[in-house]
Amino acid sequence: MQFFWHIVAMICMSIPNILGFNLIFGKGKIFHFGPIGVSTVATYGVFVPLMHGFSYPSAIAIGFVLTMIISLLFAWLALRLEPDAFGVMAIAIHLSLLAVVINWISLTRGTRGLPDIPRFFFLQTTQSFALFTFIIALLWILFLFVLHRGSFGRSLDALAEQLWYAGSLGIDRRWVTVIAFLIGGLGALITNVIYCQYVFLVHPSDLNFPVFIFFVMVVVAGKPGSVPGVLCSLILLTLLREGMRFLPIPSEFIGSLRLLLFGLILFVAVWVRRDTLFPKARSV
Amino acid sequence: MQLLMNGLIAGSLAALIAGGLALVYGVLGVFNLALGQMVLVGGYATWWFHVPLGLPLSASIVLGLLMGAALSWASFELFVNPFYKHHRFLPLVTTIALSMILDAAILLLWSERPRSIPTTGGGMISIVGMQATFTQLTLIMCTLLLLCGFACLFHSTPFGRKLRAVVQNPLAAMSLGVPAPLLHRIVFIMSGVFAAAGGIFLGIDQTLSTTIAFPLTIKAYAAIIAGGKGNIWGAVLCAYLIAILEQLLVGVHWFGTFYVSAGYQSTVALLFIIVFLLWKPQGLFATSQRLA
Repeated sequence: MQFFWHIVAMICMSIPNILGFNLIFGKGKIFHFGPIGVSTVATYGVFVPLMHGFSYPSAIAIGFVLTMIISLLFAWLALRLEPDAFGVMAIAIHLSLLAVVINWISLTRGTRGLPDIPRFFFLQTTQSFALFTFIIALLWILFLFVLHRGSFGRSLDALAEQLWYAGSLGIDRRWVTVIAFLIGGLGALITNVIYCQYVFLVHPSDLNFPVFIFFVMVVVAGKPGSVPGVLCSLILLTLLREGMRFLPIPSEFIGSLRLLLFGLILFVAVWVRRDTLFPKARSV
Repeated sequence: MQLLMNGLIAGSLAALIAGGLALVYGVLGVFNLALGQMVLVGGYATWWFHVPLGLPLSASIVLGLLMGAALSWASFELFVNPFYKHHRFLPLVTTIALSMILDAAILLLWSERPRSIPTTGGGMISIVGMQATFTQLTLIMCTLLLLCGFACLFHSTPFGRKLRAVVQNPLAAMSLGVPAPLLHRIVFIMSGVFAAAGGIFLGIDQTLSTTIAFPLTIKAYAAIIAGGKGNIWGAVLCAYLIAILEQLLVGVHWFGTFYVSAGYQSTVALLFIIVFLLWKPQGLFATSQRLA
């Protein structure tokens, strides 16, 4: 039963971050390869002040401001650069932030991470985490569902398909892109504030590049831009990831086999969706 | 001066990898995010042929290069060719999948332990105050020879002329009877051979480990972005430049007061990417496409 609550908590706490990324990469077709860079700023922006004597509300407020600033930076770069150049730039910014976090030992304790993260008073058991994250996830899904179905979602769709035509119809690309990135940043903040309390630790290994690959896999496998599809794929892939440890395989092979399996899943997902992942613009 | 020598050694490795990658980007316009893993496969395969199987080093190197060629050909047929005609950004995602599969294969076949390829060449040689081992000098010379050989092939042969035509405009080249699809394969295989040569270089000079694959890829991309996308010689030059700056960053006693932590060495390549994409996205040596 404990494992069930753990799985529920893991899935629900990932939802804000992954659905936020789905909004940008899946629906907006923006090559945002730096969602974990945003997560890095959100995580350290909250927990460094917290571990240096700030209260939770003020630490979260600082983290929120820093997350919005880094999200705005990514939005500005997405507007300024070519799509593939933005992808590479986003990776470079993510890795630069990670290098700072790892090497600024006096502030972040480097690769040792920040231990003994205090939990909210109402989040003391796995079950309470599962219930709380379930409520948060539900609210986030509803919010994004409304957003996807509304005029903002349609604007994002139009921009993803044909930038110039969408512009000629009066859609403000700058505004839509900035909003999408800010929502993605808010999702990253929510997920990371809860996750670090759950594991009592802030660690750079939770913020490195392979984490981003899991995000891409979930979005591509679930159907980019689709909230129900991405939710299904998140549930299945998390079950697979967490469930693999119960397979009768020596523990030293589990990591490699997981990597192999996830690589194959990503490849098959792209193969199946090769016409729809980055669709050609419709023409008259 | 010693920092310059260290930069030359590291730059030769980066130049090998970046040169092949720049060629692929110039011809196909696709990013290959599994490049670092291709480097490692070349190095690990050579180590495997040489150490556990006991083959002579020269034969192991040839087999390692062949392995790199075979892997890049298979990668092209499975992970690039079926996708890049649908959309040129699709290989960006499929090569992420390939990098995961290759990482897993390396861990399953050769385990996580760092490996190095043993050589017999030993003693230190001193040149105008710079010290290097005989092996390191041989590796630098081999890299330069390989790059010069490629330069001759690229600029002075009919094959090179066809290759340059495809780089400039594949459709126009095809209309003149140049077999562009075949040349695409050859270019991808050549980049795989260059990557495998980089892996062998790395295995001989340092150690092979799965953790270095992605930083190698990033460094190669920094070189091709700074050098001008698709410009092979710009990428090679920038690979040397990045390597020398990396050495200077952590080796110089800045203002006589502090040293920069070695952990920041990898950020030089990242800063190159950020600075060039923001202020000079066409790179230092961009070549414009010829139009009718």
